[in-house]
Amino acid sequence: MGSCERRCLPAGLTRNRRFSPISRWQHFIATVLMAIAFGWGSAAAADSINAYSIWPENWARPMLQEFEASTGIKVNFLRFSSGEALARVIAEKNNPKVDVLFGGPVETFAAGIKEGIFEPYKPPVATVLPARFKEADGYWTAIADDPLVFMTNQKFLTENKLSPPTSWDDLINPAYKNMLQMADARTSGTAVTRIFSVLEVNGRDEEKAFAYLKKLRANVQLYTKSGGGGTLPVGLGQAAGGIFFIVDALDTKAKGYDVVISFPKEGIGTSAEAIALIKGAKNADAGKKLIDWATSPGMQGLFAKHKINFVPAHPDVKTQASLAEVLRGAKIFAIDDAYAGANRKRIVDRWVVEVLP
Amino acid sequence: MSPLAIRLDHVSAQFLHRVKGAVAAVQDVSLEVRPGELLTLLGPSGCGKTTTLRMIAGFQEPTGGRILIGDRDVTGIEANDRGIGFVFQNYALFPHLTVFENVAYGLRVQRQQASQIAVAVREVLSLVGLTGYDWQLPHQLSGGEQQRVALARAIVIRPGVLLFDEPLSNLDAKLRVQMRREIRSLQKKLGITTVYVTHDQEEAMAISDRIAVMNKGGIAQIGDAEELYRRPASVFVARFIGHANLLPTSVTSIGAGSVEIDIAGQRHIVVAQCGDLRLGQAVTAVIRPEALGICDASKSDGGLMGRVTSCTYLGDKCEYVVDLAGAELQVIKANPQPSDRILPGTAVHLNLPAAGIHLLPER
Amino acid sequence: MKGRAVTTFGPQSSVQGRHRLLVDPAFGVTLAALWLLLALFVIYPLLMMLSAAFLEGGRLSLAPLFAILGKPSHRAAFLNSLLLGALVGLFGTALGFLFAFTVARGSLRPRWVRLIDAATLLPLISPPFTTSISFIFSFGPRGLITYDLLGLKGTNVYGLSSTLAAEVLTYFPIAYLTLRPVLTGIGGNLEEMAFSLGSRRLNVFRTVTLPLTVPGLANAFLLLFAASLADFATPLILAGNVFQVLPTEAYLQITGLFDLKGGAILSVLLLVPAAIVYLLQRAWVARGHYVTVTGKAGPQSAIRSVTPTARTMLLAACAAVALFILYLYALLAFASVVAAFGADHAWTLRHYQVIFTEGRKAILDTLFITFVGMPLGGLYGVLVGYLVARGPARGRGAMEVVSMINYALPGTIVGIAYLIAFNDPPLVLTGTALIIIACYVFRYSPAGIRTTVALLEQIDQSLEDASRSLGARSGTTFRRVTLPLVMPAFLAGVGVVFIRSMTAISATIFLVSIGWNLITVRILENMTELSLGPAAAFSVFVIAVVMAVMSLLNAVVRHLPTATGEQMQWGIGGG
Repeated sequence: MGSCERRCLPAGLTRNRRFSPISRWQHFIATVLMAIAFGWGSAAAADSINAYSIWPENWARPMLQEFEASTGIKVNFLRFSSGEALARVIAEKNNPKVDVLFGGPVETFAAGIKEGIFEPYKPPVATVLPARFKEADGYWTAIADDPLVFMTNQKFLTENKLSPPTSWDDLINPAYKNMLQMADARTSGTAVTRIFSVLEVNGRDEEKAFAYLKKLRANVQLYTKSGGGGTLPVGLGQAAGGIFFIVDALDTKAKGYDVVISFPKEGIGTSAEAIALIKGAKNADAGKKLIDWATSPGMQGLFAKHKINFVPAHPDVKTQASLAEVLRGAKIFAIDDAYAGANRKRIVDRWVVEVLP
Repeated sequence: MSPLAIRLDHVSAQFLHRVKGAVAAVQDVSLEVRPGELLTLLGPSGCGKTTTLRMIAGFQEPTGGRILIGDRDVTGIEANDRGIGFVFQNYALFPHLTVFENVAYGLRVQRQQASQIAVAVREVLSLVGLTGYDWQLPHQLSGGEQQRVALARAIVIRPGVLLFDEPLSNLDAKLRVQMRREIRSLQKKLGITTVYVTHDQEEAMAISDRIAVMNKGGIAQIGDAEELYRRPASVFVARFIGHANLLPTSVTSIGAGSVEIDIAGQRHIVVAQCGDLRLGQAVTAVIRPEALGICDASKSDGGLMGRVTSCTYLGDKCEYVVDLAGAELQVIKANPQPSDRILPGTAVHLNLPAAGIHLLPER
Repeated sequence: MKGRAVTTFGPQSSVQGRHRLLVDPAFGVTLAALWLLLALFVIYPLLMMLSAAFLEGGRLSLAPLFAILGKPSHRAAFLNSLLLGALVGLFGTALGFLFAFTVARGSLRPRWVRLIDAATLLPLISPPFTTSISFIFSFGPRGLITYDLLGLKGTNVYGLSSTLAAEVLTYFPIAYLTLRPVLTGIGGNLEEMAFSLGSRRLNVFRTVTLPLTVPGLANAFLLLFAASLADFATPLILAGNVFQVLPTEAYLQITGLFDLKGGAILSVLLLVPAAIVYLLQRAWVARGHYVTVTGKAGPQSAIRSVTPTARTMLLAACAAVALFILYLYALLAFASVVAAFGADHAWTLRHYQVIFTEGRKAILDTLFITFVGMPLGGLYGVLVGYLVARGPARGRGAMEVVSMINYALPGTIVGIAYLIAFNDPPLVLTGTALIIIACYVFRYSPAGIRTTVALLEQIDQSLEDASRSLGARSGTTFRRVTLPLVMPAFLAGVGVVFIRSMTAISATIFLVSIGWNLITVRILENMTELSLGPAAAFSVFVIAVVMAVMSLLNAVVRHLPTATGEQMQWGIGGG
């Protein structure tokens, strides 16, 4: 600072004028108002809808962008795992922030019906969908089918002279001790599907099923927050294997990780992925358009293009060849969603208490 | 602007002490500061002098009484409206502002023109001898220089009254003497009514027109230096101002214009009349050390008989402690010659002129 | 000493405070406004959360509390949280002490000091769980260190030890920053004196240095304990399922089991140790005790307090830790520029591209929220600090305590409380930027409040009296005298709000919405979705931005007339 500045600009008055109490308050209030306006403004533009997506971003984003390309409606979404998404929608029940719940295992939606967070809506294609791909009253409709698979790390198998597991009992082999990763039932629908698969394989005998799950637990290194959370560790060799949805498993393989996909001979469950309209949605009409599009070949025909390994729910869409190849010969059964929905909370609670610790 | 008077009417200040409960820092103080005079509030720490000053300034609200500056009752008025200039003990210079800006502060608050401000600041800086210091920052200045900036800052706004709160206590002895002379001459020159607080009685006596000695929240005595020194109104004042020998005694006879008292059972001394005294009344005799003459008993005749217990040579004087029949008296002999030196243990004669004794009636 | 202010305290303040309130409208309005804000954004959410936890249909019901306490997993989580906190406090303080001692007494060359400063700065300015990723890669069954380097098979990286190690490395810089000025402040004179009395070096350390450092050690321990107690993200990634802790349990209770009540109750359980720690801190660390230190190195003693061998050993230990930390971050940077970490190490900038396109919204949202929150937080901190230090005695203590509540509470609690309080009328803020900004401002400003109070206690009251004696009103005095002098505190407050806004997650993970997302939440999402590249790229971006802005702030602080840059360090840390 030169001496002239000091002389001509007295240090007190002009420099600090902006700090006078009154105008400081005006600034504060203005900023607050701006923030509020900004906050309210951004979520309610015309021709756009808000959604929570249970599908991971790398699948939701391309699909929703395709939707925007074909209809001009923008979809603002936030990704949550199924448990988190459900929790958010329920918490926001009185003042819904989203219009659609996009993707996610059916049993999550079944649990949500009881909380009264969905608005029934039957898209036109509902008539051609098989019964298990739609909810009787129209609370949800399926957009894809997603079988569970076993995925194991090839290097681990080689080092331990194991072949890829082809039975549920293979997984309780002590060789896998502390080397399995799979989803946590508190937050992930993958886990719930897995648990109900085990139940189904054991003829819905809960005691047998839970006995198996406890044995399995001994080999589990970590229960992950999201369904696909264990795929990377398995890919890296941090874990030896796990039970995942086929979309996540194939994605890992596609990334270049050295993994093997296999199926248990006793059979493994598949869970439909669904979509639903939120009760009290602010953009219900546009939301319905999204549901129409997602449940039809409009979206499902694009799975192959974007290399998303969901099995289409709509009967007119063929499963892409590479996926069909993987699924050949696998014994896959559907999870009974009525049964699953009715018992989800009880079974998950029991799992948390008996199996998790 | 003609100088203003300050008046305190039965002013008190009470506060709640955490342990002691309600404590009166200042109790029922009334005084008047004459226009243009420099009145010092003098007393030991805790006597209430600073609190009184702060109440005049408006930094503290009295719990009772009124304060008037000029004709204006300022008791409920904020400090920034009283037209005062305050010089703090630690100078309180704004560390982030230059000397110029520090001094200009009050003028800027008054929204004066920049050109006017510049002129006024330069003028007052030269008055305190700090020309050329404009762009210095406070931490670059010595204690004395900071003191002068504080002074300049208080003066430049042409206050009605000037208030000093122990401004020199952070300076070394020589600087203190020099600064107090400068403050006094400046005050006389400007003619502003001034209240000055200090615990240093020498300082008070050097610069004040009048001194108010305070003790435990009240005023012990107001008067000029000589009055306080020669005719203290209480033991406290006697002790506080200068050194004093205090001898409890009683009036043995009353004459016209003089009384006799008994000193240490040895002799009757004739003293000039001091106030209304009765025969046999208990009094305290206040005797200043320099009033006593001391002489080797073998070399003189007449006077009080005592024995030297200690002798301290201080260059310009010798301090003797003399045992006078059980009482210890301090005696000062100025300009001591080697031949005059009296060693401890020697018997001496003390000479006490009648006018050198001041009597305080016992309460 | 030239020009140093002498602190004086006296009974005057209460009397003039009262007077000023009645006469000065600006003062009164500010006070009222601040109380309103505190009531709205601190007290109201807390009450709402307590009522969600303990009220059933309007009546007190403790049954859910017992249900929660009945579950052994929750009880275990409670004890685990305490255990982890204590261990982190212990080891983190020890490590911080090691660093502080080495720097304060080791007479290090600038090169080494720079290394140590860099290593200790990184954990403070990055999202708290970024070290966790590197940990997994280094210590997992096929970890770089455990498998590739040491040939160990089947190591389990999940559990107490990893969480402990990661948290110690993340939080020990707080202990370091707390202890360094303490050790520097213990002048070499004291040790010189001990030497002159014949004491040997180790004895001097034991009998002089260590005892004087004890208050600092206690303070550091409490800070670290609180930070660990509140840490939600690191255990989420590293604790596995065998070692549950309360913040993660609360989070999972709400988001997984969608049990808001249960989550609230678990949060209240967390309140208890947090409150105890806070009270201990207040009691132990006498106000003003530590902040008069200016951070300048104490007089260097002529005698070296450590022998050359000891010095080398200390330095080696610190350097090892520092290099390890740098390694962890290097791993992160590496993951951000390779195609698929662990599988495909082809060099690519694709991930950065992703974060700037798909992640653009989160980046812009975060930056907007941060830059709006910074001045608000700084200003709020200075105003509250001023009122606490100089305001009327009545209500002063209350304001200080209330303003500290959101800071002392673990982030999960605050987030849940805000979610509960502002999701329903009368005040609906969920889905806006305001709720996030408010959360940050009221949670992280207390650092600025504390610094302001400390600074004001050093600034003598007489400066403000002088201003008043010269005719200035309250507003003018605040504007022209107080504010310029507390500018370092303002900037410190701004700095802390900035850092935490860029890196915090535990509170705001509950508050993101369609309209407003945050980088840290995206990082966590990416990690759980196994998109490591973007997660690492986001992290590197955050670290870069924080470093840039902090250097800027530091440069500004250094040029202030009465700056004490060390003030900025206070309050940094925690998630």
